[in-house]
Amino acid sequence: MSSSDSNSSSVDDHNPNPKPLDYQFETLNLEQGSGSTIIQNDVDEEGRQQDQGSSLNGSLNVNSNNHEQDDGIGLVRGVVLRRTNSEVEVDVNGPSSPSSSGYAGERGSSGVSEDDEIEEVANDSALHEVFDSQAAWLPGKRHVDEDDASISWRKRKKHFFILSHSGKPIYSRYGDEHKLAGFSATLQAIISFVENGGDRVKLVRAGKHQVVFLVKGPIYLVCISCTEQPYESLRGELELIYGQMILILTKSVNRCFEKNPKFDMTPLLGGTDVVFSSLIHSFSWNPATFLHAYTCLPLAYGTRQAAGAILHDVADSGVLFAILMCKHKVVSLVGAQKASLHPDDMLLLSNFIMSSESFRTSESFSPICLPRYNPMAFLYAYVRYLDVDTYLMLLTTSSDAFYHLKDCRIRIEMVLLKSNVLSEVQRSMLDGGMHVEDLPADPLSRPRSASPHFGEHQEPTDSPRRFREPFAGIGGPAGLWHFIYRSIYLEQYISSEFSAPINSPQQQKRLYRAYQKLYTSMHDKGNGAHKTQFRRDENYVLLCWVTPDFELYATFDPLADKGLAIKTCNRVCQWVKDVENEIFLLGASPFSW
Amino acid sequence: MGMASANSGGSEGMELCIFDLRRGQQEGQELDKILFFFPADLPFSTQLSVIGLSEGLITFTRIFSPEAACEVIEAERHSHVFYEAEPDIWMVMVVEKSKEAEAIWRVEALREVLKEIHSLFMMFYGPVREMLEKDPSGGQIRSHLYPFVMDYLSDFLVGKKIQLPSFRDCLKECGTVQMLTVGREAAIEVQSLVRVLESGAGATHCYSLILFQDLLVSTTLSPDDTINLFAYAVQRLSPRALSSGVSSWSYLRRGSTPSHVVVGPTFATVSVSDQFHQLHATSPSQDNSYHVKRPLQHNRWSKGKDGFLVTDIWGTETGSLIPSTPTIWLQQTGERMYLCAYQYKSLTLILLVPLSSILNGEQGVSLVKQQVLENASLKILKVEEKLSKGWGGENAYHVSGYRYLLIDDDRNVSRASPPAKVTTLAKESLLAMSKLREEVDLEKSRSKWDNADRDKDLEICIRAKNNAWVIARTNRGKELYMVLERANETLLYASDAFERFSDRVPLLASSGAVALGGQLIHVIILTEIKVVIVGHRLLGVRFLLR
Repeated sequence: MSSSDSNSSSVDDHNPNPKPLDYQFETLNLEQGSGSTIIQNDVDEEGRQQDQGSSLNGSLNVNSNNHEQDDGIGLVRGVVLRRTNSEVEVDVNGPSSPSSSGYAGERGSSGVSEDDEIEEVANDSALHEVFDSQAAWLPGKRHVDEDDASISWRKRKKHFFILSHSGKPIYSRYGDEHKLAGFSATLQAIISFVENGGDRVKLVRAGKHQVVFLVKGPIYLVCISCTEQPYESLRGELELIYGQMILILTKSVNRCFEKNPKFDMTPLLGGTDVVFSSLIHSFSWNPATFLHAYTCLPLAYGTRQAAGAILHDVADSGVLFAILMCKHKVVSLVGAQKASLHPDDMLLLSNFIMSSESFRTSESFSPICLPRYNPMAFLYAYVRYLDVDTYLMLLTTSSDAFYHLKDCRIRIEMVLLKSNVLSEVQRSMLDGGMHVEDLPADPLSRPRSASPHFGEHQEPTDSPRRFREPFAGIGGPAGLWHFIYRSIYLEQYISSEFSAPINSPQQQKRLYRAYQKLYTSMHDKGNGAHKTQFRRDENYVLLCWVTPDFELYATFDPLADKGLAIKTCNRVCQWVKDVENEIFLLGASPFSW
Repeated sequence: MGMASANSGGSEGMELCIFDLRRGQQEGQELDKILFFFPADLPFSTQLSVIGLSEGLITFTRIFSPEAACEVIEAERHSHVFYEAEPDIWMVMVVEKSKEAEAIWRVEALREVLKEIHSLFMMFYGPVREMLEKDPSGGQIRSHLYPFVMDYLSDFLVGKKIQLPSFRDCLKECGTVQMLTVGREAAIEVQSLVRVLESGAGATHCYSLILFQDLLVSTTLSPDDTINLFAYAVQRLSPRALSSGVSSWSYLRRGSTPSHVVVGPTFATVSVSDQFHQLHATSPSQDNSYHVKRPLQHNRWSKGKDGFLVTDIWGTETGSLIPSTPTIWLQQTGERMYLCAYQYKSLTLILLVPLSSILNGEQGVSLVKQQVLENASLKILKVEEKLSKGWGGENAYHVSGYRYLLIDDDRNVSRASPPAKVTTLAKESLLAMSKLREEVDLEKSRSKWDNADRDKDLEICIRAKNNAWVIARTNRGKELYMVLERANETLLYASDAFERFSDRVPLLASSGAVALGGQLIHVIILTEIKVVIVGHRLLGVRFLLR
């Protein structure tokens, strides 16, 4: 059924009598279609599985909810207390690997938070100064001394607020929540005024500013921004902030409001500023925040399989999810039977762990909630860093599994060490992922002299990866600067490393914002996704191509030739397909378990 | 009143209010803020809550954005569109959204409606603030606004409902002028006619506007005044407006029979006809002590024996039966002008003579008219003939295979596929185009605020789900929108087609024509849409080079 589906869709989607260029699009699409038959079946099965999974979990939750919740919040606060002294967090790896992954916005490298700047400062003219003067991004809340009377506060480019339906402030990105009580009450008044009229306010626009509202039961979230991002992106960011809150507290916090509408939630979130500020920071460097997909650390197929095998072993012994990650990239991931993990949950979980210093220094056992998996119940996460960037998460439903999970971790760590997985991971971090400069040449034209080190059908484990000293990219063929490929069935994406001229975090953020616009423009909720888009402005040529199997977003020099750009996109897709064993987690995806 | 309350359910569709933030500051006097509210039969508490929310958000948004307060509120079921017409004088339109009823709006298109209401009002009565200063009770402004806005809205009545521009109108642009393509020889004739007209009046500083059918041929007015007078002429003075008697608003303008029929399924609209009837009987809160003229009333203009258009809207000269000559205010100079309109076949000439230059009132005006007839009759005949010969008819500007809209923002000129052709497009294509225009609107408003890159150069080609290509291109204040529905088109093919079109119409690079500083400039668009400029008084050449 699925194969006929994909066949017919390619015929529909594409010109039956195509011009040569689009013909390439089409053949590729057909291959994708037939190649993904198995995955499609899995998706169907997964859909059912997920239902069962959640209902199972829901019932489990109902039985022990009350107890768990109280218990859980207590536990959270325990963790929180340990976390509060993390102000001066420094990423140990930061200075030692300037070229680590090309995600210069990553923690520890010179991530810059432009939004943090007061808007005038961030003008283009001042761009270089801003860049030079930026220190590393520091987690946690700044500008606590400000409130809504301060001019500097009013000029911040992007505010986020969480408040309760009675108007009590819960979180503000800038300024002291307590001082913002009056402002918070105003936001609440706007929301309830519209609500009383039988409607629900979504957006207010004024000049360059947008005020975006999101109501989640008794919790109100508001973003005030002049960042040019589309409404849908800002709303998505609010959803993630809400999810992050649920991850810490579960949705059962709503019941506190049922009992007492004036309930003050701030103490429950005490010390979690770093978690939110790090999430907000990731909005400007992590495409997972708008793609709703995760990314993997590129690894030889065999290496990832070795990691997967040992995770799989422990997953059979009462572990719900076993996840091995390096920074925000997945090394391997295994879910117990019938359990699947949403990419947003992975994003929120890894943000929670990476932003909390205490997880780095000791092994931890912490209650967390996966909002997409089951927003009502806590799971328990055993977390242990295996080296500076690589950490293992074992999730379970049982609150007393610490010692068992500790044993599991010891087994896993031994196997990973023995099979060199950890050193491969470190090497991959140094090598980085796909570089546009390495895009294999068009088979029809003369091959490029620089042989692509990446993406050849290589011998497993020790594929010859040239070690790169600080990598200075020059851009790919036809003015290709960057691309993101998102596989729809795998819910994974691969983003190429940044190369010239998109060097500074500032430029990278601008590019991500352009991608967000493109993403929003392509995914029109009302009318269904568009198929292709070509967009040229003074900064870039952007090409987007959405098929039932994948989405490609590519950035070119604004002077790029349209025809060549299309050809290049075809080559990128082919390239990704050629190396998909290494860049994606295949088979081990949550779907296939 | 009974009628009105029976129909109060109609207010679900659309609300429109005009209010003054400087009034009603004291608690309990909030009603004083309201200058106009539609529907008028809505309970005051509801009216006040609309204005309260608007005012609240204007104040709130100024915290972060002092330079531009609230422009729009998007809620799940309604859009609130804001327009600050004059300092602290706000117009807010609230429309209900409904996918089923095709009530899918483009905010900028709705804002254009508010802008047009205000600029037309200014043209006839001057600024709202001035009238408020003259009569601080607000009685005068209310008694003027009510019939004026209601007359304006009645143009949007389709059956019993108000039909505002929706996504189906995405290839039209309100607030712009549509021009006739004229050959070189005809252009020279037109130019000499203009000279004769304006000098024939003998007075200093006359202005003229010439239309052929519903299209502008020439103007010597400033761009803003041209837009206003052009809009009024098309709505009330053009041969079509005079003959049809039915509403021929700009949106339905060139859509003769076919598009009138096509007007579309049940739009999310307002059943308000009762209120319009009510207007004719007794307008609420209006007493007749203000002698309100209603320039937008229908069927009040007719063609006199001498070819001049007459109306009794402005009353009659005291002690005689001769109707008074209408007067309007020019936005640019603040001058008050007599409006003399002359019609010969499809040609409409509008001559504006300063009140200050005619000392003896109506007598002087009729003298001017007489002079015009004497000096220009022959030329008028000749020009009409020339233009008629060159006129390609309803579909003259149809380019087959393309559905397009060209806008020159700098000169406020637009040209579009004939409405009858646009209606052949699939709903999905129109929705995609409407959405794309919204994106471009946002980009435009952003670059307006970062003055740095005012000249936004943007090109977007989208292949929509239904395989139509939806294309937008902006460049230095020119915008081109295009829908290509032909199947089997690749991106390269689509952009080729686009380039071919752009080559023929170089993004209006040199089309459009409104006078600069009162100087006449003709821009002649040949039938092949090759653009040539001839004719000028002083600035023509500079204009071309600009």
